[in-house]
Amino acid sequence: MNKKFDKNYKIISNVKVHGNYFELKIKAPITVKHCHPGQFFMLSIPNVFLRRPISIHNIKKNTIIFLYKVIGDGTRNLSKIKSGKIQLLGPLGNSYYDLNFVPSSQKINNKSCNFSPIIIAGGTGIVSLYFLAINLNTRGTIYYGVYSEKDLLCLEKFKKIGWKIIISTEDGSQGYKGYITDILHKDLRNDNTLFVCGPASMLKKVSQIAKEKNINGFASLEEKMACGIGNCQGCVVKVKGQNKRVCRDGTIFRIEDIDL
Amino acid sequence: MNMIPNLGINFLGIELKNPVLTASGTFGYGYEAEDLIPLKKLGGIITKTITLHPRFGNPQPRIVEVESGLLNTIGLQNIGVMSFIDEPLDRLSKIGVPIIVSIAGNTEKEYREIAKILNMQNNSIISAVELNLSCPNLRKKPICHNLSLMQNIIKGVKKILKIPIIAKLSPLVADIPRLALAAQNVGANAVTLTNTYPAVAINVKNFTPKLSTINGGMSGSCIKPMSIYHVYNAYQRIKIPIVGCGGIMTGEDAIEFMLAGASVVSVGSASLVSPKNLIKIINEIEFILKCKSIKSIKEVIGIVNSKILK
Ligand SMILES: Cc1cc2nc3c(=O)[nH]c(=O)nc-3n(C[C@H](O)[C@H](O)[C@H](O)COP(=O)(O)OP(=O)(O)OC[C@H]3O[C@@H](n4cnc5c(N)ncnc54)[C@H](O)[C@@H]3O)c2cc1C
Ligand SMILES: Cc1cc2nc3c(=O)[nH]c(=O)nc-3n(C[C@H](O)[C@H](O)[C@H](O)COP(=O)(O)O)c2cc1C
Ligand code: FES
Repeated sequence: MNKKFDKNYKIISNVKVHGNYFELKIKAPITVKHCHPGQFFMLSIPNVFLRRPISIHNIKKNTIIFLYKVIGDGTRNLSKIKSGKIQLLGPLGNSYYDLNFVPSSQKINNKSCNFSPIIIAGGTGIVSLYFLAINLNTRGTIYYGVYSEKDLLCLEKFKKIGWKIIISTEDGSQGYKGYITDILHKDLRNDNTLFVCGPASMLKKVSQIAKEKNINGFASLEEKMACGIGNCQGCVVKVKGQNKRVCRDGTIFRIEDIDL
Repeated sequence: MNMIPNLGINFLGIELKNPVLTASGTFGYGYEAEDLIPLKKLGGIITKTITLHPRFGNPQPRIVEVESGLLNTIGLQNIGVMSFIDEPLDRLSKIGVPIIVSIAGNTEKEYREIAKILNMQNNSIISAVELNLSCPNLRKKPICHNLSLMQNIIKGVKKILKIPIIAKLSPLVADIPRLALAAQNVGANAVTLTNTYPAVAINVKNFTPKLSTINGGMSGSCIKPMSIYHVYNAYQRIKIPIVGCGGIMTGEDAIEFMLAGASVVSVGSASLVSPKNLIKIINEIEFILKCKSIKSIKEVIGIVNSKILK
């Protein structure tokens, strides 16, 4: 059982990265030790009722970094907080470390990674996958689909760690025009391991491709959440025909197990 | 200010440390938050409603936030009574607070079947049973819309169980006091007022309903005054105690319900926002009593109501 905390943290900064995207840094000396790739926090935000789920984007020393897009009231109000404290619940959900790799039994954080990782990110799905990538100790390829050029995030960061980046935009403003899943297909080999996070339509397509080509992979799911800890059954999805709570049993599931 | 008020209350013969219970369906099977709050401090735990057979519940989306609250359509997803007595009940019994098990069925017979199974358990584990007579998920209409069906269910379960039973009613009835009285007349030991309020939310961006089932149940701060209304009005008509429920976020909210006539309260959405709110509510109740130099929580029950009746 992963340790989680529900407490106030000091905001170090909360600034616009570009467009509608903001980066929030909080000081969390003890909590950082319990944060692993794939996990998220529920953030308390003024003037909205429920907390909002946001993934861990990075950990640097004592700092947790979040990267989020302003979508509606919650994220808008969040973007307006400039200093002071913020209450967070987490880290929540499973992490890539919790999942046992088959056929290779090695843990994902092992020094010698002998699989070739492919990250497939849609929109803000890239946020949590970056935290995975920097912990993988191996390079791979990222297939990154967004609506428009101005939605592209983290490109420099992925370049810095030596990843190959393939981009698609729906409006054609950069890279391939269309969906990332259109071009993914032909490049995949079955020694790849897929890590995917993005909208449901994308996950569905990727899981089809993975099944067809018999490729291993993991999908991180997003659902509307009320509690984030498994109490309300609000975020339940079907996995291998069983009900699973995205917030507690996931967010990461084996790609072949999800029924989308 | 040094006096420590007594929050303890005897509810249906059960000694509660304080009047704060968890509301059914918002606290899982009772122990999911054990690493976040000291469960021992709670007045009691009302578990997720269980049915005779497991239920998968409704499709996504099941949750939508609204102004000061949320709508849900979980669809009574639960593991069924047999699995419930296997694991969760065992773990619950180790927490050390009174456990109230919420049950629901499609028919009178189903309620009785579940009661029979619960009855076979070690008597000391379950302190009371809450009959969810108000869930819109099982039938087209909540059971408590059909007065004679509701009464038959209460009578049927009452014959089987020796422990107290609490009837949880829907707010969507013409006359809650009459319904509560009807429950009392056939042997309900208490009533919970109330369950969620039927509600709909529509996405104007794409002209589609926000919940998979369109209709959902509303909970949270936004329903509080309406639930207090029901408690206030029922208190004048019935003798059995009331579990006040709906939008309690603070100790002040809890006391408000008690002033209107609730003997204890159950807290749902606030604990979804943060399980810590349950502990905060208990501490705030104590603080309010201290400030008002009230020695025991029992003194506040229904006093606004009694004053006005005089
Ligand atoms: C596990 C998880 C991790 C996430 N990580 C990130 C991240 O790192 N960066 C980021 O920008 N976004 C992330 N999201 C999406 C983010 O939670 C939503 O964009 C945010 O909740 C929107 O809130 P709002 O009030 O601004 O928007 P509104 O649309 O007004 O929100 C209304 C309600 O819908 C919910 N909601 C809206 N969009 C989503 C969504 N995509 N997923 C789940 N609930 C949603 C909100 O929480 C709120 O309850 C994550 C979602 C999940 C489930
Ligand atoms: C996600 C969710 C699930 C619920 N499930 C149940 C349930 O299984 N049985 C039940 O009797 N009430 C259920 N309820 C209703 C609550 O117990 C409570 O009556 C209602 O939410 C009002 O209280 P609140 O405003 O404090 O949440 C549920 C409420 C929510 C929000
Ligand atoms: S959000 Fe409540 S169970 Fe997942």
